[in-house]
Amino acid sequence: MKRNVIRQIVGGLSLTSAMFVFQACYGTPQDFGLDLLIEGQVKSKTSGLPIKGIKVSVADNMQYTWTNEEGEFSFYTEMLEELTLRFQDVDSIKNGLHADKDTVLTDLSKDIYLDIVLEEK
Amino acid sequence: MLLSLIKYSFRKFKVSETKRHELNYLFWECTTRCNLNCLHCGSDCSKNSVNKDMPAEDFFQAIDTIESIPQNFTVVFTGGEPLLRKDLELCGKELRRRGFKWSMVSNGHLYDKERHISLLNAGIGALTISLDGLKESHNWLRNNEKSFDKVMNAVELAASSNRLNFDIVTCVNQRNINELEQIKKLLISKNVKAWRLFTIIPIGRAVHNPELLLTDNQLVQLMDFIAACRKSKEIDIKFSCEGYVGKYEPLVRDSFFFCRAGINIGSILIDGSISACPNIDRSFSQGNIYKDNFYSVWENKFQPFRNRDWTRTGQCKTCKDFKDCQGNGLHNWHGEKNNVLVCHKEKIETATYREHR
Repeated sequence: MKRNVIRQIVGGLSLTSAMFVFQACYGTPQDFGLDLLIEGQVKSKTSGLPIKGIKVSVADNMQYTWTNEEGEFSFYTEMLEELTLRFQDVDSIKNGLHADKDTVLTDLSKDIYLDIVLEEK
Repeated sequence: MLLSLIKYSFRKFKVSETKRHELNYLFWECTTRCNLNCLHCGSDCSKNSVNKDMPAEDFFQAIDTIESIPQNFTVVFTGGEPLLRKDLELCGKELRRRGFKWSMVSNGHLYDKERHISLLNAGIGALTISLDGLKESHNWLRNNEKSFDKVMNAVELAASSNRLNFDIVTCVNQRNINELEQIKKLLISKNVKAWRLFTIIPIGRAVHNPELLLTDNQLVQLMDFIAACRKSKEIDIKFSCEGYVGKYEPLVRDSFFFCRAGINIGSILIDGSISACPNIDRSFSQGNIYKDNFYSVWENKFQPFRNRDWTRTGQCKTCKDFKDCQGNGLHNWHGEKNNVLVCHKEKIETATYREHR
């Protein structure tokens, strides 16, 4: 604790903003961790079974992923005030036909787990 | 007077940081395979297809010895070319699951839209891409006629993400030194926010190609360019932490020179060696993850990195700036280590002396 205070004082006196945020000669900039983990599972409303192959995308953003055999998905994305997740059945009749669904997320201060239910078409 | 106080405080700060030696930054040389054949290969990274990629589980076993995760701890994937590893995203996700951040240095050749998305999905937080000039000079150094176009595609993708803390690095050499203003304009037009410039030191293939190395006057030209651009604030430009630059110290970086190799920066190299920055002579290796406990090595060894008195030899022996420089960047010490390979300060002073004669 004491050492940390001394560090802050001595660092501050040297007037360098980059004292504690540095990068190696050939390394990358530091990551300030401005993302969150969104994961969940997609199931059919009719059968209650997981749905594979659903495209899960972030609206107004190029990021997307797909649900696996267990209907599960997981990805990191930018921490915003609000974002819309879009669930789309894009593989035609393979794995059944389901209606698309949008979910608006507003509390993005921590990682999120979602249970999503899609209606059959 | 004020500058002296600031310099004095920074020296004390370096002593305190060295005592503390918190591991904040860990390079993982996850592969030495590469898809390019750059003219300066072996200077900052190496290509060797003889080595097999390190299995991810070996790396995780090593970092699981870290007793408490230091603040801002980041694993930096380097190579070779990290994008050649098909399990890169799995490794990244596994790091995030353990509470670690991760980032990557890439030549950008394989960085397309699909890979950009899969890396973001896996929680990448920072990225550095190499761009070494306008089309002709970049492709010359990278020894590949498609490289520039591929890199520009990668740059546009990376710059489109608000999530990524992203920068461009440029190896300044005789072919691109007079293009820097145009490169700056190009980067700004592509919405790049940060640009880091460094020089190539005469190791690896760079030893045999004098066009890769800057003359003393060209190094001063580079310093003047960076200092002027930092005043205009059009882009966050800086000289890398590769060396002490004397009178330019307060002008070309956010901070005074501080080689943090082995103080805050460690590495796990392709053969399991435990060291600091991957471009540092491999004889500085402090242990091996296949024999030693990684964190115990980090905590208890690394003496040549944390006490640099041994660099007070050769031309550094009588240098009046030794207190601020401490032997320059450690990647400048090779072979018998009798003298520093490059002294940036000397090159700058020589050029300045010639100009005033």
